[in-house]
Amino acid sequence: MLRIIVLLAGLPLAGLLLAAPLPAAAAERIVAAGGVVTEILYALGVEDRIVGVDTTSVHPPQALADNPDVGYVRALSAEGVLSLAPDRVIATDAAGPAAALDLVRQAGVPIDVVGEEPTRAGVTGRIRTIGALVGAEARAEALAAEVEADFAALAEARARLDGAQVRVLFVLSLQNGRAMVGGAGTSADAIIALAGGVNAVPEVAGYKPVTDEAIIAAAPDVVLSIARGDHALDPDEVFAMPAFALTPASEGRRLVSMDGLALLGFGPRAPQAAAALMRALHPRAEIPPIGAAEATR
Amino acid sequence: MSAGVAGAGAVPSRTQADALAARRRRARLGLVALAVLVGALSILALGAGAVVIPPGRVVAIVWDAATGAGSGAARDALVVTGIRLPRLLMGLLVGAALAVAGALMQGLFRNPLADPGLVGVSSGAGLAAGITIVLGERLLPAALGVDPFALLPIGAFLGGLASTLVLYAIATRNGRTSIATMLLAGIALGALAGAASGFLAYLSDDRQLRDLTFWSLGSLGGATWSKLAVVAPILLVTLAATPILARALNALVLGEAEAYHLGVAVERAKAAIVVLVAAAVGASVAAAGVIGFVGIVVPHLLRLAIGPDHRVLLPASALLGAALLVGADIVARTVVAPAELPIGIVTAAIGAPFFLWLLLRKRGLFP
Amino acid sequence: MTALIEAEGVAYGVSGRTLVHPTDVTLAPGETLVVVGPNGAGKSTLLKLLTGELAPSAGRVRYGGEDVRALPAWRLAAMRAVMAQSETMAFPFTVAELVGIGLDGAAGGVRGGARDARILAALARADIVHLAARDVQTLSGGERQRAQFARALAQLDAGRAAMRGGMRAAGGGQVLFLDEPVSSLDLGHQIALLEAARALAEEGLGVVAVLHDLNLAALYADRIVALAGGRVVAAGRPEAVVDAALLRDVFAVPLPVHRRAGGGAPFVLPERPRPA
Repeated sequence: MLRIIVLLAGLPLAGLLLAAPLPAAAAERIVAAGGVVTEILYALGVEDRIVGVDTTSVHPPQALADNPDVGYVRALSAEGVLSLAPDRVIATDAAGPAAALDLVRQAGVPIDVVGEEPTRAGVTGRIRTIGALVGAEARAEALAAEVEADFAALAEARARLDGAQVRVLFVLSLQNGRAMVGGAGTSADAIIALAGGVNAVPEVAGYKPVTDEAIIAAAPDVVLSIARGDHALDPDEVFAMPAFALTPASEGRRLVSMDGLALLGFGPRAPQAAAALMRALHPRAEIPPIGAAEATR
Repeated sequence: MSAGVAGAGAVPSRTQADALAARRRRARLGLVALAVLVGALSILALGAGAVVIPPGRVVAIVWDAATGAGSGAARDALVVTGIRLPRLLMGLLVGAALAVAGALMQGLFRNPLADPGLVGVSSGAGLAAGITIVLGERLLPAALGVDPFALLPIGAFLGGLASTLVLYAIATRNGRTSIATMLLAGIALGALAGAASGFLAYLSDDRQLRDLTFWSLGSLGGATWSKLAVVAPILLVTLAATPILARALNALVLGEAEAYHLGVAVERAKAAIVVLVAAAVGASVAAAGVIGFVGIVVPHLLRLAIGPDHRVLLPASALLGAALLVGADIVARTVVAPAELPIGIVTAAIGAPFFLWLLLRKRGLFP
Repeated sequence: MTALIEAEGVAYGVSGRTLVHPTDVTLAPGETLVVVGPNGAGKSTLLKLLTGELAPSAGRVRYGGEDVRALPAWRLAAMRAVMAQSETMAFPFTVAELVGIGLDGAAGGVRGGARDARILAALARADIVHLAARDVQTLSGGERQRAQFARALAQLDAGRAAMRGGMRAAGGGQVLFLDEPVSSLDLGHQIALLEAARALAEEGLGVVAVLHDLNLAALYADRIVALAGGRVVAAGRPEAVVDAALLRDVFAVPLPVHRRAGGGAPFVLPERPRPA
């Protein structure tokens, strides 16, 4: 945790330092390790310089189809990465194992790690850092400004909400009937707050499995989960489980499933994801389209 | 006997003497063949990988590294000497150690099903490694300047030792080992270690959780020279010590009392076996995580092929274990390159069908 | 002639129960000693005390003057071999390999072609050369017993080689222990195995056997020790020990003991109890 904070504190500085000595020698062959990195690279329009992505790079969909897959972000292979002859690896903090990353660095390939802080500053910081690394500062600045504006619009919409508390329980997985929920300090907690909701389990730290009774005690108004591809939690199944059947969410069968990378990745689409969630949480509120993408939809 | 002493049996027939000599030759031939296999796979392991390097360059790089000369292309040299070579050596040592640990365990328990992975020794070692990862930093003041990784083999060794001793104490009564008790106790131990590991996962932060996941999956991906420097001495000593135990293990197959009658210092031999198994499994788990299947399949397969005599079985297990793991690693890092498969999947995928085929053939279901 | 084994007041008890009360036993070179007694009399326990497997709770067992429990296992293995009641083996050793384990026991073992010759000689003495390549796990009970006998013979052979090679053996002689060695054998092989043991005794070895068949005991023993309830109730030459009193008091069967014509060993013929 401390490392992430130090890293984030150092990001603007690092951005400056990295931007200064490497203006023209911007990366030409990039391996992106982490879905949010790939998403930002595509948003910056430098996708033709990507030579490899990890399996979490699910947005845009063509990222994995067009590029070699270097495996799961937490289980990278040093030789696999090197075989793509990259001149730079851009990774999220989740990338590993450490020994593989060390070997890649020893081979003379720099690895830049961007933090995963689930905040407005985190998103724009990531965009600017990656922009500087690939020599697309202007485009990054424009994108960051767009995102800033989206966040501002989101904040306005949030301020206009009627103040009704909507308790949201984020369920990461439901294996063998055991719910793994998102507590304090998670990106789920952050997006719920951005969407004007209240985390139903603030006393849980991180992603943790909880008992059925804890779910009943949390009394969520809405159950939030992520959709993996075509697969999402089925409301019939979820609310048939005793723990969920006894929650307020069960009455309106309020189960919201959203794209995982948009919801939790805190890339450029974070404000739109938060807005979409906000509409689901506050169906009667008037929420204007956020950003160009929503406006044209 | 009376008839035998007087009759044809007293002068052993030529054919029986030839048959015994032939069986010994066959065992020797098997060892040579396995050594050739290990050599061939090692060459392949150095040559194959996601980075395409022509065989001539690989030879030149290894030659330069061996003679201390600098090498031209830094990236290729690093891939060969910094990634493939330590990984190959780690694969050879861990594979050999896991297979030998399996053979030792099976000899000690007089049961072909005893396997460090199956009876909870690996989970014990894995749990201890997990405790070292998660609690090591909290319990050890950083001021001591001890590298947590240097503690991993020791922690894993102690975990393996503790679970082996508990298992043996539970399953053995009056020198007889109850197979059912051993398996049940092993499953219970494994479950206990699993529960404790789950609790550790609950306690750990994100980075520690990632390290834990790495151990439980098993991979040679983290092999570096510095890890090798910590683990290789333990594994080499373990492997070098096992031939001394071959005759004791043969005698132990008859039972502990019989082994004593045959001249084996039984308690000392048992203690040595337990310590060696714990050292081999502990160091392997610390280096490459929990890799199952090698310890049970390799010795069993060799018993079917060249017989159960531990004087041949132990070195043959070391060779075949090394070959299996290095071969599996070649597959793991080439089939989905530039990504990589967990090695446990590959060892099982290579070993299990072959094992089943051998069993079926033994039962006469295949020619 | 010095005794191979001297047991003085040797006793064994476990958790308050005495299995063998203080007993004296001596064994001379060339002597065959047979231990008889009903089930649970302590025969196997006494044998285990004499082989050094069990530590006596009182008394002492000496081999040529040295305490058996103080001798290291590898030296003891050159001096005595034990054929225990046979158990199944967990691994598919061949009969020849099993016999080879006997050769490996004492003091470093025997290598190379000499090894094969010795294995075959032991197989021949046990009349199982034809089983050399068979998997021990597939043998019948009787075949397994003969294979274990060959293994014990091989151990004695290796022990003699080690002693000739200069290994100091207490007393200089060897002992063969047989615990119910003929329990699974047909009549022909019972006789053959005991004849082979006798032949070893004639070469100067001491033989200690536990037998249930009183007729075989009387026929092959120089001396019989009869145990009951952990105590020696009779000891001496077969004709002095095997009598109607022993059968009645120790084995609880009211049978007469017969004598062979010409003063041979006594024998017992089981009879059905007569209706009263």
